[in-house]
Amino acid sequence: MKIKSAFISIPEIDMTPMIDIVFQLITFFMVINNFDQNEADERITLPRDQLARPPIAVRKNSFMLNFGYDLDTQGRRIPNTPPYVFFGDDRATLAEVRPRLQQESQFYKTIGTKFEDVTVEIRADADVPAGMVQELIQMCQEDTIQFQRFALKATQKVDP
Amino acid sequence: MKLRNRIVSGKIHVDMTPMIDVVFQLLIFFMCTLKVIEPEGDFDISMPLGAPKADSVTDADLPPFKVRMLADETGELSSLSFNGNNLGGGSRAIQLLNKSVFDSIVALQAIGSDQLQKQEVEIDPDYNLNYRYIINAIGACSGRIGPNGVHVSYLQRIKFAPIRQRPL
Repeated sequence: MKIKSAFISIPEIDMTPMIDIVFQLITFFMVINNFDQNEADERITLPRDQLARPPIAVRKNSFMLNFGYDLDTQGRRIPNTPPYVFFGDDRATLAEVRPRLQQESQFYKTIGTKFEDVTVEIRADADVPAGMVQELIQMCQEDTIQFQRFALKATQKVDP
Repeated sequence: MKLRNRIVSGKIHVDMTPMIDVVFQLLIFFMCTLKVIEPEGDFDISMPLGAPKADSVTDADLPPFKVRMLADETGELSSLSFNGNNLGGGSRAIQLLNKSVFDSIVALQAIGSDQLQKQEVEIDPDYNLNYRYIINAIGACSGRIGPNGVHVSYLQRIKFAPIRQRPL
């Protein structure tokens, strides 16, 4: 007896719903991702204030100084350590930070930006002594550095 | 002549694999680069710091409002005074500071509205005071949030007094 060879059809999976969902997810992550705050260091716990509002216009010339305490692997503050100014994975104490600031100042001088147009954004930890933040600002104003504008960062406090 | 009616059956097959590959790559990238950070704001301060220089000219006609902040050994706010008036310590003192600044600007407006733009606040904290109280004091001097969420602005010219000596 001759058996007819059965026609083999490849089952098609409808990919449309999956692609829809994946695009929705991409859109979601793109919208909530804040690329402006990529310089923000996660080790810093900013003070909170309800009047701290983002600037109306985006600052063209600004750089950020993250000033706070180093944390251990558990996310706890390492005791008996001074606050550091963080530059990515690198860090410097207040006494060591001057060359870095001079470097930054030299950069703006080289590209011809006036110092009054440059804003130094200070992200200092809530528990850092106020005097140290003042010292950092004072250092930024020294004759070899000459920054003039400062913005003190805080988290927007949302009242329940 | 009879033309044959040729019906083309079947779908055009588009290979979706490369697109799905790229889309998943994008998805993974955005997921990995996501940083969950609370919205941040800031307070602008453009001020001379330290001892006033001989050539520093200010257009303020009146002396600055002085906010003196004293810290205890742990860096907490033990006492706050506004223009010499003691407002106590803790968060209650910050609220009282906000009220005192409001009362002062009402008095300033009576003199002339341009005084309000020129008026400065000088914050004079102890060296070891926790920085959070500085931000709270700057917030209390710069305004308040009205009952319907409107930002009521008080004073914008905020500066620091010369640095106090580090406690031994």
